[in-house]
Amino acid sequence: MTGKLFIQLLVNGISIGAVYALIAVGFALVFSVLKFSNFSFGGTISACAFIGFFFQKAFNQPPYWITVLVSSVAGVLIALTVDLLGFNRIRKKNSPKIYYFLSSVVFAIMIEQILTVFYGTQMYAFPSIFATTTLQIGGITFSKLDMTILAIAISLLVILIIIIDKTKLGLAIRAVAINSNTSRLMGINSSVIIVLTFAIAGFLGGITGVMLGQKYSVYASLGPSMMLKGFIASVIGGLGSLGGAIVAAILLGVVEIFATFVFGAEIVPIVLFGIMLIFLLVRPQGIAGRIAEEKA
Amino acid sequence: MALLEIRGLNVYYGNIRAIHGIDLDIEEGEITAIIGSNGAGKTTILKAISGMVNRNDSIKFDGVPLSMKPHKVIKKSRICHVPEGRQIFAGLTVEENLLLGAYNNNNKKEIKQLLEEQYDLFPRLRERKNQDAGTLSGGEQQMLAICRGLMSKPRVLLLDEPSLGLAPIIVTEVMKTIQNIRDKGITVVLVEQNAKKSLSICDYAYVVENGRIKLSGTGKEMLNNPEVVEAYLGAACE
Repeated sequence: MTGKLFIQLLVNGISIGAVYALIAVGFALVFSVLKFSNFSFGGTISACAFIGFFFQKAFNQPPYWITVLVSSVAGVLIALTVDLLGFNRIRKKNSPKIYYFLSSVVFAIMIEQILTVFYGTQMYAFPSIFATTTLQIGGITFSKLDMTILAIAISLLVILIIIIDKTKLGLAIRAVAINSNTSRLMGINSSVIIVLTFAIAGFLGGITGVMLGQKYSVYASLGPSMMLKGFIASVIGGLGSLGGAIVAAILLGVVEIFATFVFGAEIVPIVLFGIMLIFLLVRPQGIAGRIAEEKA
Repeated sequence: MALLEIRGLNVYYGNIRAIHGIDLDIEEGEITAIIGSNGAGKTTILKAISGMVNRNDSIKFDGVPLSMKPHKVIKKSRICHVPEGRQIFAGLTVEENLLLGAYNNNNKKEIKQLLEEQYDLFPRLRERKNQDAGTLSGGEQQMLAICRGLMSKPRVLLLDEPSLGLAPIIVTEVMKTIQNIRDKGITVVLVEQNAKKSLSICDYAYVVENGRIKLSGTGKEMLNNPEVVEAYLGAACE
């Protein structure tokens, strides 16, 4: 492997890893406040990819940011609807966590199947909304699409981290994630914070849907298949940890691209699941995980 | 008229009745102690006030019915509940914990001033303001929990077992702090198993047994009441 090829693969890996990071972060956010793995997020991503796709078709190539905006707003609405139908009642009744998990799996399957009923299992080519030409820097070829996706993903992640770390809303989200009952005693309306968390995740899901649709194509199981990578990334990163999820997702993207190059695409899932298994055996708390104990 | 007027409070956990129609008056500017054994319903009374459990419409604050939603109780009535076991946010810094206490306050200048007040009250917290709150000692965590409560500029502070699990010398410090808080004009409701300490600092006290008020009186009366002495101030409590 030449140095140039190495750099090219590395950049591609980081680019796709950044998209996984968006998925993993959406996943980790909901996990951190509600302590369950929200698999319906994959369905949200697929649905948003379709919505972006049809919007793009219907309006004859509007500027890309309008499509991204429409899709992300759709993501927020879908996430809030799923919360209202699937999770709100479980929360109100204080039911066991496993109910959330089951409900999220039901919604993941339902959204995917509804899309399949209407649009079949075939793939739809997303009209190019980002530049698809390539860029030559120092003899290395970069795809402009990958660079655009990388730039969007990184900016979103930076904005999200600033919101979580520096704003009052972020502090409230972190507090609810640690202890939602005590947060209520601080005057935080934890139901509102939980709904907002779903909205943020949905927003990220919407943008992810358009970007994945651009990179691959639009199909019903697009979200669920990518969701799996986001899930693996958030497990490796330490469930609920945003920083860990981002690092793990980018790592995963790089491993995937290199593994595809060396072993072929068929082997990739084995490699990814293998990494997750090793982490679960050796470091179950994940990259960023730590065991915090409250003193009695 | 009392600041907090409780008339016929009932609380159920599922089908189990935890509080049996009790009456309680919390006078403004006083320390009211609620003592009783484990499972008597002391904590439930505090939770009923702060809205953390479902209750009947039986509490009036300043003459008007008190909201049953926790975030409204603290925001509108400025009643702050410092829960049992401190419940500080481990994983957040000491300062972030304090800032959460002032969650409903949007006046940055005032928040800064409140922070300084807490740091002056407990200089240890200033030294450790950027440290993970989970790394504090038990006593420091209790001080943090109280200060976090004070950050909300409360009219009423509900303190649940602030002496639990602390060394005797620190318990004395906590009790002194509670008196200082009362002297600042903040009404305190103190739930304690440490009956002797709480009776000696309180203005008025209620003894709760099986979800009912068994006795009430001033702290001094209670300390000399043979029934209280026998049940709660025996050798085991020394």
